[in-house]
Amino acid sequence: MKATTNPAGSHRRDKKLQHVFAHIALVSLSVLFVIPLLWMVSTSLKPIGETLTNPPRWIPSHILFNNYPDAISYGSKELGYIPLLVYARNTIIITILAVGGAVLSNSIVAYSFARIKWPGRDLFFGVTLATMMIPFPVLMVPTFALFKWLGWVGTFKPLWVPAFFASAFSIFLLRQFYRTIPMELSEAAKIDGCSEFRIFTDIIAPLSRPALMVVALFTFMGSWNDFLGPLIYLVDQNTFTLSLGLQAYQSQHGGTPFNLLMAASCLVILPVVIVFFLAQKVFIQGIATSGLK
Amino acid sequence: MIRRDARVGVLFALPWIFGFLIFLAYPLIASLLTSFTSFSVLRPPTFIGLQNYNELFHDQVFYQSLTNTLLYVLGAVPLTAIVAIGLALLLNTKVKGMSIYRTLFFLPTLVPMVALGTLFLWVFNGDYGLFKQAFLKVGVTPPGWLTDPTWSKWTLILISMWGCGQAMVIYLAGLQDVPVSLYEAAELDGAKSWAKTMHVTLPMISPVILFNVVMSIIGSLQIFAVPYVMFPGGAPARSAYFYTSYLYDNAFQYQRMGYASAMGWVLFLITLALTLIALKLSEKHVHYESN
Amino acid sequence: MTAREVVGLSAAALVMVLASIAGDRAVTREGRPDKVTVTYWEKWTGDEAKEMRKVVDAFNASQDKIFVQYLSISGVDTKTMLATAGGNPPDVAGIWLEQIAQFSDAKALTDLTEMARGNGLNSDYYIKGYWDPLNYRGKLWALPSTPASIALHVRPDLVPADVATPETFPQTIEGLDKLVDRISKKKPGGDLEMAGFLPSNPGWWNWSWGMYFGGKLFDGENLTLDSPENIRAYKWISSYAKRFGAKEVQSFQSGFGTFASPQDPFMQGKVATEINGVWKGSYIRVYKPGLKWFAVPFPYPEDRPDLKGHSHLSQDVLTIPRGSKHPKEAFEFIRFVQRQDVMEGLCKGHGKNSPLQKVSEAFFTTNQNKFIRLFDGLARSPRAFNPPQIGILVQLRSEMDVAFQEVSTEKKTPEQALHDAQQRVTTLWTTYKHQVLNR
Repeated sequence: MKATTNPAGSHRRDKKLQHVFAHIALVSLSVLFVIPLLWMVSTSLKPIGETLTNPPRWIPSHILFNNYPDAISYGSKELGYIPLLVYARNTIIITILAVGGAVLSNSIVAYSFARIKWPGRDLFFGVTLATMMIPFPVLMVPTFALFKWLGWVGTFKPLWVPAFFASAFSIFLLRQFYRTIPMELSEAAKIDGCSEFRIFTDIIAPLSRPALMVVALFTFMGSWNDFLGPLIYLVDQNTFTLSLGLQAYQSQHGGTPFNLLMAASCLVILPVVIVFFLAQKVFIQGIATSGLK
Repeated sequence: MIRRDARVGVLFALPWIFGFLIFLAYPLIASLLTSFTSFSVLRPPTFIGLQNYNELFHDQVFYQSLTNTLLYVLGAVPLTAIVAIGLALLLNTKVKGMSIYRTLFFLPTLVPMVALGTLFLWVFNGDYGLFKQAFLKVGVTPPGWLTDPTWSKWTLILISMWGCGQAMVIYLAGLQDVPVSLYEAAELDGAKSWAKTMHVTLPMISPVILFNVVMSIIGSLQIFAVPYVMFPGGAPARSAYFYTSYLYDNAFQYQRMGYASAMGWVLFLITLALTLIALKLSEKHVHYESN
Repeated sequence: MTAREVVGLSAAALVMVLASIAGDRAVTREGRPDKVTVTYWEKWTGDEAKEMRKVVDAFNASQDKIFVQYLSISGVDTKTMLATAGGNPPDVAGIWLEQIAQFSDAKALTDLTEMARGNGLNSDYYIKGYWDPLNYRGKLWALPSTPASIALHVRPDLVPADVATPETFPQTIEGLDKLVDRISKKKPGGDLEMAGFLPSNPGWWNWSWGMYFGGKLFDGENLTLDSPENIRAYKWISSYAKRFGAKEVQSFQSGFGTFASPQDPFMQGKVATEINGVWKGSYIRVYKPGLKWFAVPFPYPEDRPDLKGHSHLSQDVLTIPRGSKHPKEAFEFIRFVQRQDVMEGLCKGHGKNSPLQKVSEAFFTTNQNKFIRLFDGLARSPRAFNPPQIGILVQLRSEMDVAFQEVSTEKKTPEQALHDAQQRVTTLWTTYKHQVLNR
């Protein structure tokens, strides 16, 4: 062991240096990370002629707040409705259903894996984990055929109905969390004559808000930004979701009003950002207590 | 008692049992069966045995898309992990304004694919892009991020690193679980920051690292949306044509569902293999807390 | 659970039920109970959609038995194929001419031969270059919605005075190349400032250059991607990479604005000449009115005067997918579109020429494209060419595109690139013949 002359003092200096270094690194890195997003906002306020300049401009010559209403109503004359609003409505519908379904189904399924003993449970859980290795492309074709057979292609159903059947990742997350709740709680309630269902609703569920929030948030983000699903299953343009609908700004032959596309993109991101910002703490807490270990 | 438990347990697990059977087991098996057929959607499938696999193994585009994908995984997984862990470590020093930084780093993951793709088309633009301007200021000629076949994958890797926010948040949560007592013990032994990180922090979060790396491998093998938007057709010269892109084209553009199913199964086997390798390699390095 | 929690959960459940009902409503299509509804899926958005909607509205107003519903569908070809497979196709599908062979081979289309014959829609009614490719294996599978022909557009202000008119502009490819050498400008650092011509601009037809040199992709039985003419074409393409520098071209081109804007490269003067379709004039009128330009047939190779006056033809077409619930009514609508006045109105709205043999004088004289007669003439010329009719055309085009990129980025020699492409498609073709055509 090296002997130091002033362990306490050098330790304090160490910590101070650490903090300064961390600050510098964080500031510069966060600037780097945010630049493309700032560019997005800046472009969204530019007149079309200034979106492509050499060297690039950061501040538009005149700030076109009008780009935002223009982006919202883009294409509305031809279509007879306001695309962006319609896409937003569609996305909201699908997301509400997906999040609701995910929270409902995953909570009871994970509960079953975590707190009820039944034969084959652990083996089945192992298989569940293994399914996370199955890449989506291998499932794509038969799943599409299945939905086609059900007559659901062209509707929203393929995008939210599966959420009601739980998912491996969320089961895994919630199960870890449920296991941190002492079994004594359940046992005491059972002695009092509570059914498993009532234990779940009255005792466990209220305790699991952070973890359920994590499931809700992940599902929300996944559903809001899903691209491949809508690409495959949605047909009529007026059924598109936001992430798919953004493509409509790039007309078939490549004429893209970039400032409007960026404005639309900013609008699309906004709800997710707000939700994340508000739910941050609970989100992190939920991940921490779920113990992804 | 046990029988009642069993019934309730299975009852509660029913949604997943059905989900597993309908959305995982059935498609997986159906996909395998379809891979032995020629199925152009409009006609009923005709059994052709192993022809699809035979054709696959002689298909240059298959090999090219697979190589592109593996190269991408090789670059994106470690680099994204390093950035995510690095950022998490920085954020873990409990500096002021942590929640703001956290949001900023997480923001990129919230951007929808099409916007992301289009945004980066402009950031990397050869004439007007930010990158070119930044490079020029330093006096270096930038490579053709979007147009040079040797660089297109690097562009995507950079974008992946930029989107490490989700993994970062998980690492951060993991870091916060490391008992402070361990750090104190290390400090008493005279360990400086770097040593603490290497010998305490990283081993303690090694299960989290393993989890994230495995998920990252699985996810990166399936890359589709961003190249779909930024590099249609895999241009330039199919350098950005990935496995799922080719699978999607076979299924939906060329009407070759049987062939696409064969590709899907090959991908599944590759994913399995890589995951098992990762798990095996990690045995020596991952330190689990006894529960 | 507490009362509050029960209320909360019930509210959440109610919201979800409402959402699913709203979702179902959002995806159902409006129909008229008293009329036969014909669903029409079309690829167009924006202004082009607007023009077709006018036609649809006119048809709906002209009779009271059929209601045509126009829907903008992105990826209309894929979606139509899948919907047909699912037994629920649209009644009219607006796809591309290039797909007729593929769709027909897959038995995805309704045979229109009888219906057309009964309505006088035959080879006399249409320009040959447009009529022929609508037929495949002896049957008619589609009728045009809008056609197009392609020519070289030139900016007289960017070329020397001695070649600045249609009459004096070089007619051979060699002449064009010499002109390009004369007028192209580079910036001090080596970057391009103005290119006389770029084969990769606008980039939609990168796969078709072989045809301009007399090369075919498919001779009816065998694939000929690496024929001498195609190789010669790709050598010509690589000459541009050498002339300007592959990296410089890429960098230059990545800065091009979109064609539906004043930043279009031709309008901005970044290129002095550009190969483009008849609709180019409309865009210039909208985004850079007053810009002087003219059009000439794309040059031909010096030693191939038999190719002079050639042009690549293409069409947007209307088809009736197999399994459509209302094929007769669907054909009623398609027939309406083929009426001379309707067709001319639609084509004029799209800035395109007409596919019909008979064209009214008014179509020419009131057409805002000063060179409409040139495009019309190019379409009528026996030298006009169409893409090959083969079920794997999509893959062929892909391979030729890739070969183009490989040659432009100097990753492969023309011989190598085309030879590799030929190898790949030969396997594909054998498999296709075996599995789809049962040959």
